[in-house]
Amino acid sequence: MITLTINQKNYEVDVNPDMPLLWVLRDVIGLVGTKYGCGVAQCGACVVHLNGEAVRSCVTKVKRAQGGKITTIEGLSEKNDHPLQKAWIELDVPQCGYCQSGQLMSAAVLLRENPDPSDEDIDAAMAGNICRCGTYLRIRKAIHLAADMQRKVNRT
Amino acid sequence: MNHPSEKKLHYFLHLKVIVLIAVILTVVVLTTSAFKDSKTVMDIAVYKNAVTDSTESAEAFLQVYKVLMSPRCMNCHPAGDEPLQGDESKVHTMKVQRGKDGKGVYAAKCSNCHQPENTPGLHTPPGNPKWSLPPADMKMVFQGRTSHQLALQIMDYNRNGHKNKKQLLAHARDTLVKAAWNMGEGRKPPPLSYEAFLKAWDTWIQKGGYAPK
Amino acid sequence: MTNQRASISRRSFLRSSTLAGGGMMISFSWLSELTLADKINVPGLPDQWNEINGYIKITPDNIIKILNPNPEFGQNVMTSLPMIVAEELDADWQQVVVEMGPHDSVKLGPQFTGGSNSTRMYWKPLREAGATARRMLMDAAAQTWNVPAEEVTTKEGNVYHEKSGRSGKYGDFASKASGLAIPKGVKLKDPNDFRIVRNSKKNVEGLKIVTGKPLFGLDYKHEGMLIAMIEHPPAIGMKLKTFDASQTLKMPGIKDVFTIKMFDEDFELGGFDTRTFNDLLVVVGNNTWEVMNARKKLVVQWEPAPERKEKTNNFGRKQDIIIPAGLESSESQYQKMQERAKEPATVLRKDGDPESAFKNAARIIERTYNGPFLAHNCMEPINFFAHVTNEKALLVGPLQAPGWTEPTLSKVLKLPPEKIEIQMTRMGGGFGRRAYGHYLVEAALISRYINAPIKLIYSREDDMTYGIYRPMYTATYRAALDANKNLIAFHVKGGGLPEHPIHANRFPAGSVDNYLAEGWEIPTNITIGAFRAPRSNFNAAAEQSFLDELAEEMGKDPIEFRLELLQRAKENPVGKNNEYDADRYAGVLKLVRDKSGWNKPENKKYNRGVAAYFCHNSYAAHVVDMVDRDEQPYVERVFSAIDCGIVVNPDAATNMVQGAVVDGIGNSLYGGLTHKDGVAQQNNFSRYRIIRFHEAPKKIEVHFVPNDIDPTGLGEPPFPPVFGAVSNALYKSTGKRFYSQPYANDMINKKAF
Repeated sequence: MITLTINQKNYEVDVNPDMPLLWVLRDVIGLVGTKYGCGVAQCGACVVHLNGEAVRSCVTKVKRAQGGKITTIEGLSEKNDHPLQKAWIELDVPQCGYCQSGQLMSAAVLLRENPDPSDEDIDAAMAGNICRCGTYLRIRKAIHLAADMQRKVNRT
Repeated sequence: MNHPSEKKLHYFLHLKVIVLIAVILTVVVLTTSAFKDSKTVMDIAVYKNAVTDSTESAEAFLQVYKVLMSPRCMNCHPAGDEPLQGDESKVHTMKVQRGKDGKGVYAAKCSNCHQPENTPGLHTPPGNPKWSLPPADMKMVFQGRTSHQLALQIMDYNRNGHKNKKQLLAHARDTLVKAAWNMGEGRKPPPLSYEAFLKAWDTWIQKGGYAPK
Repeated sequence: MTNQRASISRRSFLRSSTLAGGGMMISFSWLSELTLADKINVPGLPDQWNEINGYIKITPDNIIKILNPNPEFGQNVMTSLPMIVAEELDADWQQVVVEMGPHDSVKLGPQFTGGSNSTRMYWKPLREAGATARRMLMDAAAQTWNVPAEEVTTKEGNVYHEKSGRSGKYGDFASKASGLAIPKGVKLKDPNDFRIVRNSKKNVEGLKIVTGKPLFGLDYKHEGMLIAMIEHPPAIGMKLKTFDASQTLKMPGIKDVFTIKMFDEDFELGGFDTRTFNDLLVVVGNNTWEVMNARKKLVVQWEPAPERKEKTNNFGRKQDIIIPAGLESSESQYQKMQERAKEPATVLRKDGDPESAFKNAARIIERTYNGPFLAHNCMEPINFFAHVTNEKALLVGPLQAPGWTEPTLSKVLKLPPEKIEIQMTRMGGGFGRRAYGHYLVEAALISRYINAPIKLIYSREDDMTYGIYRPMYTATYRAALDANKNLIAFHVKGGGLPEHPIHANRFPAGSVDNYLAEGWEIPTNITIGAFRAPRSNFNAAAEQSFLDELAEEMGKDPIEFRLELLQRAKENPVGKNNEYDADRYAGVLKLVRDKSGWNKPENKKYNRGVAAYFCHNSYAAHVVDMVDRDEQPYVERVFSAIDCGIVVNPDAATNMVQGAVVDGIGNSLYGGLTHKDGVAQQNNFSRYRIIRFHEAPKKIEVHFVPNDIDPTGLGEPPFPPVFGAVSNALYKSTGKRFYSQPYANDMINKKAF
């Protein structure tokens, strides 16, 4: 039995400790917002937060996550109101939408560590997430917008 | 609030300091380039009884150098701030950055993909618990160095991560160094076996840490 | 191939019924006057349209539910098609809820996403659906209020009678409306009166996407569902010989390992029944990772597949196709193409006397362009759910054209179509790949064999190496100039594996007196399929690079040179069947010239490339601005001009054009799938380079030509000319012309692989 804390809830799962976290989330626990894209840490569709870091769940064995704090897209915000989620909607970022949960989870780490990211910071944070539809420009814009929103909230 | 102008000034000062240090270091290196007396940077206590042999030492380093310049070592000791990747040592995709501590930045930290162990499969991220680049204040660049330059650099306490002779010897036994020989599918190992590398490394250091011409 | 327009007489009928608990359900059904030019872009489109209809449901509490008929793969149809209904219905968009329609070709029409046709083919039917429902609601209100119907008006989901000051909500009259006779020939709105269409509406599934709700095929769950994976041969040209599954079967969670045959020997393949392998080795187990792991333990012997004959019936065009044996390699394929290109080819179009013109030319410019196989690489790997019993079949997942796969399933499963239910999930990309429903057949056969609901999943490696690629192409362009550097003849000879890319009746055909287009083909066992703007995505690279070079040789500005040719094509067109409208073509070039400040001195710092192209009935032009960054050419900004008629959802349309530009830059610079002895040399994103965040431009400014023309294609048209514009900008950046894709292969400074 492996105990996992996902989105502040505890789960006991009876799985091979070598099973990637991605498949535990999707196939065992049923949280399917985290996507399978490549399986080899190349595309970023599977990004979740493990102790606050944007790990790629497709190569992260579940044993590494034991005892840690996992956040998935389903738990990014309580009321679907993370500044990034709001900005994504405001600028209508997605096309097919498949990669976007991974994009959001990567962007969330960036925004936490750097509330005022430059274009270069965004490049450095986001170049690991592939979007085949090519929504990169809107993602960039949405990150800047979310940073603005976050600053306004913090100021008030 | 950020003040970009202040920020810039700050960086500029940093740059000045760095240049100054570089100049000083260059002077130091030049004055010791004959490398007659390696004791200045080594812990004599350990090897005061060792017999130095400049020829044997320098020759051993040439073996060491082959390993250090192989993709398995050099890829994480790049000249720039982006790691290299693969047997061709191309710049790592995804615009990965060294970061201050050498562990990447933001959502692109090394350990987000590079696990404590190798990920199975072809061209998947190799793993090690310490996977990282040297930190920004001690870059320990291999890429582009001649064997002469690299030997001097490694022997230089101020450029080798502050390692004395004992620590240098131990460093070759570090799990991250050893990980070069556990490269994962689709990657060539370093040109020497790990044992041969260790032998050459030890010989180089124990025989005086001489730099090849 | 000609570009005929299929036109059928219109016959409409309409049903309405009362919803349980009151309210109205109105369903429209008709054969419509749909035109479909550009058939060749979606090979084998049916000539006869199925009935199309839309569904509108209005509840007493004024909720308006609109069904989206067409599969969504990122082109925004879930939002933009219901907008069209809501517009004519004069609904309050805030009151509208959208639901993905079931697969029902009788009620919802062709339901295919491809050929940039979604908006185009549904434009008129959906408008009529909305307008007729509105008329019925107005009639119901008029009867209730006992006022003349002509005096009743609507606004945003409300009905008004101004004289008497009465008003009500649509929901108030829905039940009554459902009992009324159905009016015919209801007048549609003047485009100038649109207030939903042409006004940006946010993606109706946006919130679900950003909160990770299950939307995609891979997210679909079903009670008792098992996971299936197929172990494909390691090379195209191989087939299964024997296997030993003993180790696999010992692995935890594994249910069974078995083989299935997709089609019998004499199976007649429909136009989209492409499949690379017929004998399938299947592993079924409890969850994805267990199956992936256990699959690695298979001990399989493969053998060379012999040459085979395929009976095909491409929407009525019957043909036997020989698929050659052998393990093909890109290098030898390329050599074969070069040799074949020297041989005579089929004449596709000839105007004037090109032979004499070339003989008498003062100067002949000849250039050859090449393009590799391209993999679609949809972010969501191929997958489909199937639950098949002897009585019925349920299939759920990502699919572009259920109507093309259902007949195949019916034949293979020996079930009548009404016993086959296909549900379409949101697709994680498509780009043409999901028009090929082989994976539904595979999933269905696996489910039937193991007698359980299963989901077939392709790993990324399975997906990338399976085949069904953009074909490998080459084309040689020749231009004859007279002593005054006038263009007197134009010749294109193109070929490919296994089809040629040439659209003989497109620009510059019609603008040059002496014109010759030829095509040739070499058979291959590498399977191919439609890839975002098939053929056009190669032609626009080759032809638009050639025209750029030609303009330079002639000492002309590349935009002005094209405009001169288009002027000729408009005033005094050469030949017949010119597919394009010279005015609209020139229109996008002029727009992009003006918006990009083409000749402005402040833009001199950019290495600028321009290209334009016509396909899928729309016109697109781009100016690509390159700078040097980290010693590499980088596309920093792009200006795009598009004429696709009325733009239904402008911001979403802009998003799609921006995406097409990014996709075009990425595929032109990096895209390519190569083979060595039948083995795909790229099997994941570690080797197949996809454009990434920092490589995308900082700005893509999109301008639409304003007009009231009924909507034409948009998903594909902006994509092809990006290739040409990139290649032309690269020339300005490097001083070197680029003739072979992917262009990054020829760059001197290759920083990242």
